[in-house]
Amino acid sequence: MTGYLTFEIRRTLRDAKFLLFAVALPVGLYLLMADRFIDQGAPASYVMGGVAAFGAMKAALDVGARTAVERGIGWQRQLRLTPLSGSGYLLAKASVAMVVALPPVAGVSLVAALVSGVHLSPGGWAVAVLGVWAGTVPFALLGLLIGQFATAQNLQAYQGAVVLLLSFVGGLFIPVSTFPQALATVAKVLPSYWLAQVGHATALGGDSWQAALVLALYALVLGAAVVVRYRRDTARA
Amino acid sequence: MDIHDGAPALSVAGLRKTYGETRAVDGIDLVVDRGEVVALLGPNGAGKSTTIDMVVGLARPDAGEIAVFGASAHEAVRRGMVGVMPQEGALLDDVTVRETVALIASLHRTPLPVEEALSRAGVADLADRRAALLSGGQKQRVRFAMALVPGPDLLVLDEPTAAMDVTARREFWQSMHAFAETGRTVLFSTHYLEEAEAYADRVVLMHAGRVVADGPVSAVMAEVSGRTVTATVPGARAEDLGALPGVTAAHVRDGRAELRCTDSDLVVRELLTRYPEVRDIEVGALGLEDAFLRLTGASEAVR
Repeated sequence: MTGYLTFEIRRTLRDAKFLLFAVALPVGLYLLMADRFIDQGAPASYVMGGVAAFGAMKAALDVGARTAVERGIGWQRQLRLTPLSGSGYLLAKASVAMVVALPPVAGVSLVAALVSGVHLSPGGWAVAVLGVWAGTVPFALLGLLIGQFATAQNLQAYQGAVVLLLSFVGGLFIPVSTFPQALATVAKVLPSYWLAQVGHATALGGDSWQAALVLALYALVLGAAVVVRYRRDTARA
Repeated sequence: MDIHDGAPALSVAGLRKTYGETRAVDGIDLVVDRGEVVALLGPNGAGKSTTIDMVVGLARPDAGEIAVFGASAHEAVRRGMVGVMPQEGALLDDVTVRETVALIASLHRTPLPVEEALSRAGVADLADRRAALLSGGQKQRVRFAMALVPGPDLLVLDEPTAAMDVTARREFWQSMHAFAETGRTVLFSTHYLEEAEAYADRVVLMHAGRVVADGPVSAVMAEVSGRTVTATVPGARAEDLGALPGVTAAHVRDGRAELRCTDSDLVVRELLTRYPEVRDIEVGALGLEDAFLRLTGASEAVR
């Protein structure tokens, strides 16, 4: 397991383009959005929380979903012929997703502090950075689940739809309080809504325990689903 | 389950697998003793790959028992006793050959040194190359190194030479032979008769999910080859003709009987005695390739 994890982390760190994009996209988005939102009276830390959550979520989803390619070419079959267990493989992949999810949060937070002058207490930064990062776990697992269903060909379509749905309807960019009633109800079913709660807690105050609990439940359910799916996937890829 | 000292390398009984309507494997019994080199021979669609997938734990049988060194397929894989080269199964393009083989080694408890696996598979000179830059044959040899690196006692190779040119093929078989020389067991599938003939001690001939012949190469060849007698035998049924002394198989098609024989002279004498109205008798020798195609019923598909 540790052997496989090391291997995967080394592979990921070598993929500079992917890592750079994972950070550059949310940082760019933050810079684009911050001025407009702040003009409308939103605190910079609010925008920071939402965009950081988006960046972490997308990075975690991407890493997981890219396993569709490995599955398609038969790499997972090859691994089934080793002592590496299915859950060991998935755990390694989820860990890599979490490694990749941290830089976007850190990047957005850093830019928010430097450019918009966001000031937080050490405890505030801990929630803003580590809280959002930890809340990304269910998305790493959701990405893996997508990877077990999608093919290399339809992956982009799946992935794009999921990211759009989660980020816009989940309220990562636009406050759910401005949604029509029906859409707001839908939003609350999405895990991204609860990740947004963690991200926005810095700006809005209040604690994130309820959001943490919901995200933990999501992680359990998605984790179980992806393990079951991987075990059943004995068909030839 | 435990690994039994005296257990054969592989023991399969009553193995069945159906995909939808297709009976891919339809009742296979097979015992491979330690140290044997066995070829699973048959045309495409004979059920070779499905059999191999079940033997190594990649597919679950609908029915039947599989024991690898007396243990389950998964247990044998987990203990690194089986090295497998599946037919499908690719390499990661962004990873070098050495990293790939080293990864597989790191997952096993008692692997071979990585450099040894690389050189045994003949890919030591490609070690620093990324998989994206390898030819099909080179990739196959890297996958051979991945099968070798656990230090297995049984090597299972599913159509190992499929993507190789003639030179690569010869080099591959040399490596395989060197592995078998160390007293270890090899089971490989192929649809090339020459490969089975040249590299196996024993041939298991498969057709339509069943084993149609199993034995030492020379015996199966003798059974597969031999002569045929074709004749017009009015009123004779295939079952009766098949029961004639010296006949191993009989077909009647458009009034013509086609008899595969171990002794064509005897068959002709019997035919003339029992069916006085027999006419147009032809005696022919079957080439190996021809005989193989006939035995496995693939002749129509091939021509």
